[in-house]
Amino acid sequence: MTIGTVRLHKSMYMQQAIRDAVRTFEDFATFELKRDGDHYTVAIRDVDPDVDGDIVGEFCNFALVNTIERKRKTPR
Amino acid sequence: MTRITMPASGPPATKTRNSQRMSRHDIENLDPDTNTATLALDAGLYPVDVIYGAAYALIDKAWVLLDRTTPEGGKGHRFLVHLRGKMPLGEVGLQALSGAFGNELLSQALRRKVVKQNNKIIEEIVTQAIAGAAGATLPQDFMEEDDDLDFLDDPLGIAVPWEEKFKKDKGGKQA
Repeated sequence: MTIGTVRLHKSMYMQQAIRDAVRTFEDFATFELKRDGDHYTVAIRDVDPDVDGDIVGEFCNFALVNTIERKRKTPR
Repeated sequence: MTRITMPASGPPATKTRNSQRMSRHDIENLDPDTNTATLALDAGLYPVDVIYGAAYALIDKAWVLLDRTTPEGGKGHRFLVHLRGKMPLGEVGLQALSGAFGNELLSQALRRKVVKQNNKIIEEIVTQAIAGAAGATLPQDFMEEDDDLDFLDDPLGIAVPWEEKFKKDKGGKQA
């Protein structure tokens, strides 16, 4: 069962950062990453029933922080 | 199981608070039922780094989702910031969270400006510190003066124990 679909704008989130976030949470749910125009969409489903917390929200925060950290490391 | 979704970008689904316009950002949507506030920011006013910085500062209190919209005609991009409280906040709490984000935006913008203005000074200080640590700035006189000193030398008598330095004679007078 899909519990949430997150749309992440390509200009705000780096694909590799999203992949890293998916890797972080892949033990607790199934993630499907797709491109949809200006956005990446991530469908989250089959969440482990033992998970206590908001996996969608945490996934969003991880994707954002990973993006910020990657952009800081990238020389301009 | 409770269905949990982050709000998608688009027209506000619930209360729109255009009457509570703020100087630099607007609360686009405030929904206590989903514990969510959505802010709209003019992309021309805030660089994306400032928004990243403000979002980073609030991730312990809220789940943050950033988005970007382009209005019809393609001009005047806006950033949308979706904030969902980690704890139930209610309307007042969501307004406070939005305000905290606005304050953090200003703080980050100021920090960015100060860093930009002082960039040259910061670089010089760091360069001097690194060069100093490498021994490049030691004066030549100082280097030569210390050449004949051994680490066991004690010309000022600093290493002499107190008792020895101020020991009393048998008659009770100080040495």
